[in-house]
Amino acid sequence: MLLIDQCRLTWPDFSADYSLKVEDGALCALIGSSGGGKTTLLHLIAGFETPQSGTLTFRGSDLLPLQPSQRPVAIVFQDHNLFPHLSVARNVALGLRPSLRLEKAEWALVSEMLEAVGLTGYDHRKPGEMSGGQRQRVALARAMVSKRPIILLDEPFSSLDPQLRRSMIQLVDELRKRQSITVIMSIHTPEEVADVAEQMVLIDHGRVIQAGSPPEVLRTFHSRSSTAPDLPV
Amino acid sequence: MRFRRPHPGSLVAVAIVALLAAGFFALLRAGGHEASFLSIGPYLLRLLLFSLAQAGLSMVLSLALGSALALALARRNFPGKDILLSALGTTMIMPAIVAVFAVFTVYGRNGWLAEILKALGWPGDINIFGYPGILIAHVFLNAPFVAKIILDALHLIPAEQWRLASALGFSSGQIFRHLDWPVFRAELPGLASLVFLLCFKSFAIVLALGGGPSRATLEVAIYEALKVDLDFARAAWIALIQVAICLTATLALHGVLARPPVATTSRTTISRPDAPNPPLMILDGFVLTAGLLFIAPLALSIFTGLGHITAVLDEDLLFALLTSLAIAAMASTLACSLALALGAAVRTHRVGFGSPRWAAVFDLIPNALLAVPPFALTAGLFLLIRPFVDSAVGGLILLPVVNGLGALPFAYRYVAPRLLLAEERYGRLSSSLGLTGLTRAQIVDWPLLRRPLGSAFALAAALSFGDFGIIALFGGPELRTLPYLLYERLGAYRFEEASAIGLLILFVAFMLAHMSGRWSHAPD
Repeated sequence: MLLIDQCRLTWPDFSADYSLKVEDGALCALIGSSGGGKTTLLHLIAGFETPQSGTLTFRGSDLLPLQPSQRPVAIVFQDHNLFPHLSVARNVALGLRPSLRLEKAEWALVSEMLEAVGLTGYDHRKPGEMSGGQRQRVALARAMVSKRPIILLDEPFSSLDPQLRRSMIQLVDELRKRQSITVIMSIHTPEEVADVAEQMVLIDHGRVIQAGSPPEVLRTFHSRSSTAPDLPV
Repeated sequence: MRFRRPHPGSLVAVAIVALLAAGFFALLRAGGHEASFLSIGPYLLRLLLFSLAQAGLSMVLSLALGSALALALARRNFPGKDILLSALGTTMIMPAIVAVFAVFTVYGRNGWLAEILKALGWPGDINIFGYPGILIAHVFLNAPFVAKIILDALHLIPAEQWRLASALGFSSGQIFRHLDWPVFRAELPGLASLVFLLCFKSFAIVLALGGGPSRATLEVAIYEALKVDLDFARAAWIALIQVAICLTATLALHGVLARPPVATTSRTTISRPDAPNPPLMILDGFVLTAGLLFIAPLALSIFTGLGHITAVLDEDLLFALLTSLAIAAMASTLACSLALALGAAVRTHRVGFGSPRWAAVFDLIPNALLAVPPFALTAGLFLLIRPFVDSAVGGLILLPVVNGLGALPFAYRYVAPRLLLAEERYGRLSSSLGLTGLTRAQIVDWPLLRRPLGSAFALAAALSFGDFGIIALFGGPELRTLPYLLYERLGAYRFEEASAIGLLILFVAFMLAHMSGRWSHAPD
């Protein structure tokens, strides 16, 4: 289990205080308005932000003293996930060894992972020669190949069209079940993950407003949205 | 068949080409047939070898120091870093003649270094003429420029990629390979071509620090042929060789400059994961110290002029200051007008007529002007107007024209992209609303253009104000600019007065460049 307990972060213009439990193997969707603190929570788990107080543990081990690369976490961003000068296969291989000196079996694993995300035969292509959806699949393959038990997805499919977005979410769900990994994903369109997520977390102003099953969190989300003040006419 | 009225940009392009052709034709005609390419062959070969060698060495040293400084500055944060970065920006607009003064003050026979060595008991004599002085001045002017450009490019690496590097556990070497090196690979060819071209065409530095006719660039040789030997044919031949070499380099540079910009992200850059690496901390400390020890004394030497300002406040200075300002204002007005006309022609051909090839031709003209030797052009044009005006009036006419053409490539880079942006954003809307001509310019173009135009004007004025180029041909008691006055004082070994004039030139050029920078970063 991933346990975040009263982790507090403060900046001059924003403060956050998170407490959250995520079960092993779950797909946890973070929802809420832009600027509410979803990305900050992911950065806290990944190790890009250090809290002033609180604890962060995974399966009982303290993650806070660990560097980002030492944490049991892989991350996929909305954009800029791939190094443009490296081929698709080498971008994925970075998830195994940053030195890119891979054994034969490891290269086979890279190909296997590309096959899993539907990119067989794309090994030698450069990211610039691929569509946005394909590039995100490559990033997903790199996250998966690293065999880390938690994958963080920071609005990874926002720039894709709705149909492609749904198929990518299905792909993430399939891969997570196959590899028994925990996925924590921030998303702008919560309905699209309602069918596959076990847990949904509503975040606003740097706080967890509600965590629970998707239907109940969605109800709160919509009621908060509908009580938002109307714009002056 | 319907007659299409020519675009003002087409007229400008034809006028520029005609002006260049007329200048070179006049020069060749004045020279007659006495000199040929073969007769000046050995001399030309010597010139070429020296020009190429000093430009090549200057380029390598500037890129090496600039790259190392950029990496060290990217990795380290320290108090005063912002001031240091502003100072790096200042050397980009520092007039060459002021850099010459700085080199004399620090490394000259009686300079600061000589004083220190004497105090330490070293009996030798320092001679900076020739390669040492030229290389020091070129590296002093260009290494900070290289560092600033690479540093700006490094800052464009998306924050996500730094986070990835951190999450994937990249070592320092892997960070350099996957994050820094792609930036270097993208920036270095363009920077190398530009620095090489600037050093290859160097005039004031080589004239003052070369130490004799055996160490001259083609530009200096053209000047000597025109001013000392009155050998127009030789000047014309050397000029043509220089045009051929510089045009090749400029075309290569044009290709590099036309590449798409590096990807940007709106998120802030996080601190680099390789910053805490102890060997890199030592290396960066060494690079920053060495860079500062080289650059700081030269930059500070100019401020010795503060104590001598009152000694130079006379009629000569006032006259030179007003002349410089007037020439700079006229040159930048010309540069901005030409940039607007050519930029509008590019936009019309690319978007309106759908002919990208013609657009590319107009786009090439400003950069191609970098290849034109100003002395040869000026001499040719002066031969054409000589029957009607005397030397001083000729100088007053030709200085703004040639300086304006020299500043055009820089002004164009500010103005042209904005004209295209206005078309991309509001072109269709303007067409549907029927906005044309002056109304369109006022409503659509002007709000987007006024700041880059102001920026281009100030930068062109800064470049022209500090220029010590063709004024060397026309300068004398009747026509003096501030850089010419500085050159005169240096020639007379009146270093204290030269320091004050140098400081004044740098101050005005810096203020103009500062205005240019502020306008270019202001919101629309």
